[in-house]
Amino acid sequence: MKKLLLILVFYATSSLAQVVTHPREMGLPDSDWVRPDPAEYQLSLENGLIAYVAKVDYVPLVTMSAFVRAGKVSDESQGAAESLVDALKNGGPSGMGASEFKASLRQMTAEYVVEMHDEWTEVTLNVPAEDLDEALPLFAAVVRSPEISQTNIRRAAGSMGPEAEDLGGESGAQLYEGSMDIAVDHFYEIIYNGHPYGRWLTPDDFDALDVDDVADFHAGYFVPGNMTIAVAGAIDVDEINSQLVALFGDWPAAEVPEVKQMPPVTRSRAALHHFPAKKLQSWLVMGHDLPPIPLAEQAAFEVMNYIMGEYHMNTRMMRNTRYKYGYTNDASSFVEDRWYGPGGYTYRSYSRPEVIENIYDNMMAELIRIREEEVSDHELFVAKGGLADGNFQVKYLDGYALTRSFAVERLRYGNHERSASYVERIRAVTKEDVLDAARKYIRPDVMQVILLGEEAFAID
Amino acid sequence: MQTFKYLSMLAVAFFVTSAAAQTYDLPIQEHVYDNGLRLLVIERPGESRVVAKIFTDMGALNETPGEYGAAHFLEHLMFKGTPTLGSLDWEREREVHDQIRAAEDALIEELNRSRNDIRERGVFHDYQHRSSTPRIEELRALIDSLNRQAQELSDEGPMKVWYQAYGGTRSTATTEQEYMKFDLDLPADRVELYLRVEADRMQNSIFRNFDAERMVLVEQRLGDLNRAETEFREAMNSLVGRASMVYVPEGYTNDFQQYTRHYERELYETYFVPNNTTLIFIGGVTMEEMIPKVEKYFGHMEWAPEPKRYQGREPLPSGEKRLNWRSDTLSPRMEVRYQIPGVGHPDRPGFDVLAEAFETALQSVVDEAGISGTVDINTRVVHTARFGVPASINVELVLSDASQLAKAEEVLLAELGRLGKEPLPADEVAFAKKKLRTEWYRTAVDPNALAFEIGHFEVMDSWKTLVPYLEARDAATAEDLRDLAGKYFIANNRSVGVVLPGEASR
Repeated sequence: MKKLLLILVFYATSSLAQVVTHPREMGLPDSDWVRPDPAEYQLSLENGLIAYVAKVDYVPLVTMSAFVRAGKVSDESQGAAESLVDALKNGGPSGMGASEFKASLRQMTAEYVVEMHDEWTEVTLNVPAEDLDEALPLFAAVVRSPEISQTNIRRAAGSMGPEAEDLGGESGAQLYEGSMDIAVDHFYEIIYNGHPYGRWLTPDDFDALDVDDVADFHAGYFVPGNMTIAVAGAIDVDEINSQLVALFGDWPAAEVPEVKQMPPVTRSRAALHHFPAKKLQSWLVMGHDLPPIPLAEQAAFEVMNYIMGEYHMNTRMMRNTRYKYGYTNDASSFVEDRWYGPGGYTYRSYSRPEVIENIYDNMMAELIRIREEEVSDHELFVAKGGLADGNFQVKYLDGYALTRSFAVERLRYGNHERSASYVERIRAVTKEDVLDAARKYIRPDVMQVILLGEEAFAID
Repeated sequence: MQTFKYLSMLAVAFFVTSAAAQTYDLPIQEHVYDNGLRLLVIERPGESRVVAKIFTDMGALNETPGEYGAAHFLEHLMFKGTPTLGSLDWEREREVHDQIRAAEDALIEELNRSRNDIRERGVFHDYQHRSSTPRIEELRALIDSLNRQAQELSDEGPMKVWYQAYGGTRSTATTEQEYMKFDLDLPADRVELYLRVEADRMQNSIFRNFDAERMVLVEQRLGDLNRAETEFREAMNSLVGRASMVYVPEGYTNDFQQYTRHYERELYETYFVPNNTTLIFIGGVTMEEMIPKVEKYFGHMEWAPEPKRYQGREPLPSGEKRLNWRSDTLSPRMEVRYQIPGVGHPDRPGFDVLAEAFETALQSVVDEAGISGTVDINTRVVHTARFGVPASINVELVLSDASQLAKAEEVLLAELGRLGKEPLPADEVAFAKKKLRTEWYRTAVDPNALAFEIGHFEVMDSWKTLVPYLEARDAATAEDLRDLAGKYFIANNRSVGVVLPGEASR
């Protein structure tokens, strides 16, 4: 009995001590996670359309998305792309009528999003599962055959130019987030000056446009082989596959438009661009264009970028602005690559005006240091874990995420090789690779610095 | 004592309960430990990751006047590490922190002694006999110097970095009126990392870089103030609530300088106790595996004296209030607010339906009256739409033309009056309920958002009332809504805000 009590006391006492083993020594398991197999979710139609379908039935919702390789720089007629977006958003399927389309969406309590980027477009409809029978045919019809009218052209033209005043009084520079957006817009106006990505339309650009131009744009780009589809939610996968065949299978295959490769931008020497604003804070954007990154260098670039400025994480930028000095709430990097041309690579922060120069100095010092010194083993370990076991896994978290990831990857690259090799490529990155990536993709000599707010400093 | 406590824990059978509803299927399992810690799990077999949250029942409502924002600041300080996370040489670092605390104690004494000389006697910090004293300057310089020494002995961001290294994402935290929470999404087989770090954070936080972090709060507050609506909304919040709604979780800048390590430590030690804490996990873990894992890291904590919960009682409304706000930046608007009860009161769910259904009906009336404006009806006071304390339902009409303000007020008040006498059309009420159900599904499909709702209900009332709350919304009839409006939408309970053109002198 005494022995039993002693044993109990021993285990009780050892259990009562707080466990503060260092994370490194906890024996956390190595990741055995494997990216899901896209073939398990893939439906390939004879006309070239590829869909990814997954069941997720925690709640009775369904999301369907179409991704199309057609963007703002794809159209031959100025304004056709923007007018098509308006038709997809507001016009509904041909023959249905805009008001009936809107009423149908409302009755379904649908979330309906049409978003056009420079090179691709997304149409997404999210509805309760009880409305799936109505929603999927509606979705197919609007993607295949949207009603296009002069109204769409007029409305698209009207949305160009100065930002429409928001009734809430929080548009544009009034907003704290909006101020950063404005600084970023200025950055892109500067780096894309004279470049096709820098095309900002005015209402006059729509004058020569007619409905046939918009319809031609749709007919040329919205074809089965130039599109992928993702469907996920509380569904029967076999049933959805059958419906997709029924709704899209008779869509004739058509020639897939050739991808327009965009030229590089003309770089300028490093410069400061000051935009006055009477605000309580100042906003800083510093960066340059980002040339397309070859597959062999992509992993090293991502590791380097993570170490420097992964959004709101423990990074060099955050440590040397916020954590040590309390200068700002955030200092992070933003990679905005384009599919077929030069993207943008920026570092952004904001603060009370009196310390914005300190932020600039500290961020620039880090941009220079990463090009001169190898990163530490610890930094490399953290970045690889953050990317391979964190960010990348989240892209395949559930059926919604993975069908979307597969559909976008397939449309962009035509296969799934990049995601298949991603973890292995990240794990293989060395300190030398990171140094090489920094020297190639961070270029202080062509850094364009945008300062929105009070005038604060000059640069050499 | 500790041994006895452990033995008694051994004798406690697992208490696992399950709540599920047909429409709102939430298979939440609960286990309450002997020390009062609450563990809630939704198992999702086959998922490789898990969403994790730890909620503490404390927030801005627990602050004292002059220290507004201190709870939010504490959240920031709790990212600064512990003796075992972040220190390069804890023995030396501890000595420096002891010296900082002693210097701060001396500074507080000196500030108290000099109070009549340096306190701000004007309403808006416009007059002091003196701004400082030599001794205050000396102590502040000493604290600065010690801060730098401590910084040399520690790492920055010592908790987040391990979450990142092992695949954690969404590593963040939030403090509002009623709660503080720390979040993570990580691979399920590494969930022990979360338990190890959070248990350490809960008991051993070192408030490193106190004074630099204070300036991060300034940045966040300036960000709020850059929004054109912020000051108007805060003025409305203050107008409506006499006891509960004046608390701004971010705090006011004039309080930021007043925070002390001493007060932050007091908040920390009072509220961060196991019997005031709820852990929530949704994803690829099971309750069976989580019970011993949580016990391993939190089992040593002892039941602590219960911190007093905020009661959140408002005095009876006794008169209509009005705010005339002049601004050329904000669009002209009418806003009518009525105080409503908090989550836990049987009337509360109906207000969600009422807001949804009445918004559509009111927009039609506004359009038909030829008023160019947009209606928005919400129950939002700060960042969150629902509270466990009395809040308000806000009927907002933003206009494009200030000359229509008088007409807008007339229409708005007439419709609000009618709402208490005539039921809304049944089909509009049915549609509003469908919309709320769909919105709930969009929340519940995201494990992060779902875990927040469960934790938020736990601090507002109880996680067990979440499903009944959703069901009560579905059961509400047009007549119920009419009765609610008749009961609460009375003149004495009304606060009216009007945004007029023209800049007031500030």
